[in-house]
Amino acid sequence: MSAVATKTVVERVIGAGVLVLALLGPRVVSDFWMDTVLTQTFILGIGAASLIFLSAYGGMISLAQAGLMGISGYALGNMVSQGVPGGETKGLTLGWNPTVAVVVAILLTIGIGLLFGAVASRSFGIYFLMLTLTYSVIAFLFVSQVTQVGGFSPIAGVDRYTPGFVGDVVNDRQRLYYIALGVAIFVYILIRYLVRTPFGISLQGIRDEPTRMASLGYNVTLHRTLAFGIGGLVAALGGVLFAWWSGQLSPSNIGLQATIELLVIAVIGGLARIEGAWLGAFAFIWISNEVTNRIPSDGLPVIGGTFNTIIGFIFLAIVIVSPDGLMGLWDRVWGLALFRKPQQPAAEGTPAR
Amino acid sequence: MRRLKERRIRLLLSVVAIAAGIAAIGSASFAATAGEVRVAIMGDCKGAFGFAYELDIGGAQTAFAQFAGGKPNDKKKPSAGMTGIKAGGKNVRIVGYGCGDDTPATALKETRRLMQQLKADVMVGPLSGDEAVAIANWAKPRPAKTVIIGTAGSQDPTLQIAPKNVFRYHGDGAQWNAGIGEIVYKKLGWRKAAIIMDDYSFGWTSGAGIIADFCAIGGQITKRVFPPLNTTDYSSYVRQLPPPGQVDGYFWVVGGTGTGPALKAYEQAYGPIKPEQHSGNLFLWFLTGKEDVAPRMIGVYVGGFGTAPGLKTKATDQYHAIVNKWYPGQPADDGFFYNYYQGTRALITGLNKSGGAVGANLQAALPRSISAPFELSDKGIVKLDANRQAVQDQWPVQIVKNAEGNPSVQLTGYVPNVDQSFGGLFTSKSPAPGRTQPPCVKKTLPWQGKIREVKNGVVTNNVIK
Repeated sequence: MSAVATKTVVERVIGAGVLVLALLGPRVVSDFWMDTVLTQTFILGIGAASLIFLSAYGGMISLAQAGLMGISGYALGNMVSQGVPGGETKGLTLGWNPTVAVVVAILLTIGIGLLFGAVASRSFGIYFLMLTLTYSVIAFLFVSQVTQVGGFSPIAGVDRYTPGFVGDVVNDRQRLYYIALGVAIFVYILIRYLVRTPFGISLQGIRDEPTRMASLGYNVTLHRTLAFGIGGLVAALGGVLFAWWSGQLSPSNIGLQATIELLVIAVIGGLARIEGAWLGAFAFIWISNEVTNRIPSDGLPVIGGTFNTIIGFIFLAIVIVSPDGLMGLWDRVWGLALFRKPQQPAAEGTPAR
Repeated sequence: MRRLKERRIRLLLSVVAIAAGIAAIGSASFAATAGEVRVAIMGDCKGAFGFAYELDIGGAQTAFAQFAGGKPNDKKKPSAGMTGIKAGGKNVRIVGYGCGDDTPATALKETRRLMQQLKADVMVGPLSGDEAVAIANWAKPRPAKTVIIGTAGSQDPTLQIAPKNVFRYHGDGAQWNAGIGEIVYKKLGWRKAAIIMDDYSFGWTSGAGIIADFCAIGGQITKRVFPPLNTTDYSSYVRQLPPPGQVDGYFWVVGGTGTGPALKAYEQAYGPIKPEQHSGNLFLWFLTGKEDVAPRMIGVYVGGFGTAPGLKTKATDQYHAIVNKWYPGQPADDGFFYNYYQGTRALITGLNKSGGAVGANLQAALPRSISAPFELSDKGIVKLDANRQAVQDQWPVQIVKNAEGNPSVQLTGYVPNVDQSFGGLFTSKSPAPGRTQPPCVKKTLPWQGKIREVKNGVVTNNVIK
């Protein structure tokens, strides 16, 4: 068996193991771990997956994905909340049917993603990066300044109005855990399938050689725009789940901080492999929780700073030691292990492996 | 082939071991000890109000020390912790201090950490308006948890949202400004004014109190301007204000670290501040002694913070002595400190009554009235209304020159028994304060024409005319 095939088998075994553990999660870990760490890992991983999809297969590092997640969540929140006495006090409080609201929120986000993509797809490199950052900033300013859709105060009660098939996610957090896990698995399979389709293959060709692909007759702009739309779909799913998980949305869920956090998650996990999305999300959330619990609020001794300082150091270390993130580190370790494996001389008459 | 198979098995075993380790971490170490009450104190350690972190914790822990046997670990630094707290026959453990930054997202993250991971039964906090809106919404479907608001002044948590497990033993931002509109109307002759207020729920609530009070007596608010919280350059917002000739005065509701820069931006646009043309909310207190614009604010009338600095009564003397005993040097008259103190006093009273039980039992046992050092009505008792919101005396102040020649605050008025509804103007069905809420309407408020002058810390019988 070749080295690559061996690695693939090993990764599949690990993946199966992780999936089994995830399915058993609520029975194995505490409620806090299930709800705050693992469910959030699935959801933020979906958001990071939208970024990694664009980066790994489209060559586009988009800083708009947190903004798109937020747009989806805000749209949902404004549509479902009802403004009844004792209830929600911010946002449009349209009181729409939750199922309709979810569909509209996702379609709206895809539409906005396609629009963003149509504008950004002609740019490359740093210009593309800055343009997508601008989208997130625009989204943040819109939701914070247009107080009719929220303002600085949180839009609340989003988790109280869910479609029938989703059920009560306020009291039954295990239900939400499995829904988030299911959507995460769906997103993973979707992306793995898409990149093998003719569209996915040509998108990767455009990633590597846009000029050559254009000269071969491929519509580079259209491919990139569509990829942005797909990224918007994935981000929209993450945004809806986040709204149900948090129950509330405020501008800081959509602003520069959220954008940087999603980028950090993707970089820590690995921008080149889709699995890095969830690995990075888990590492980020776990470190955040451990640091907050163990470091005094007035900061680290001598150097000061708290979580952001620690995550900054980790980010630096990853970029220096393994620019492809934790998944890149895994690839590298595997490569080293294979390189060191001594070559066995084949016995006479023994077939080669 | 056999070596590869062995490696696969080793890898699998490693994965299982790592997963088991993670599960162990996840479920370990924060288990509650039976028979103890777990309390969290939530303040802001970052952002516009990060300076108040030690004040919040100090206020809460002063109450624990005085009324529940707590021993401070460091009398100079409240966040160093406290041990030995007992109430209702049970040990009370402070499981953690929340570190907010005045944003709802961080407040929720800290609330989940404190109340779910560290399993706190009760939270005293938060500090800031939108944090309280987020936490009240979080608490609503979780009746087993109890929240005693620390010092957040947004209206929504106890009026429009009003969950049964959320209590507030101090006034909201609107209540704190009761009387200031009438004072500037009568004493300074203001008839038209502009207001500039931070664009978030506390700014809107505080502004709502000023607008309601000023308009009720016949004043008009001709312009409202809304800089975002944490703005650093106020020049464009100040330019939206009408120039001095078009209004009689300006109300400032710009806080945290923004007060000084906002006023300096005004001076750059319209010239030196004339005290008779300015008023505002409690944020103007923080200028005194800290900003170079403060000396030019001497004479300005300012809304209250639920405290009465300089009030000369036996109750205030006792309160100052208590604070000096446990955390000498802490500003006892500061609203951040005092409001957390009062909220924690109420918690201790409730635990003593419930026998240390938490949840619904504690919520039933929490007092619906409590003595308060800065309260004169009803023999010094603050009562809660049906939404568990305090009805409280309010104390407008004036910025004056103290004995050293530096700016300081001095009590100027006494407004008795201010309720959250402002005499029916604000209800659970009315929209929460916002950019256009409340409208400027003439109305009779319960305290209109009854504000008494305070001279040298003593409430006189003279009504402000």
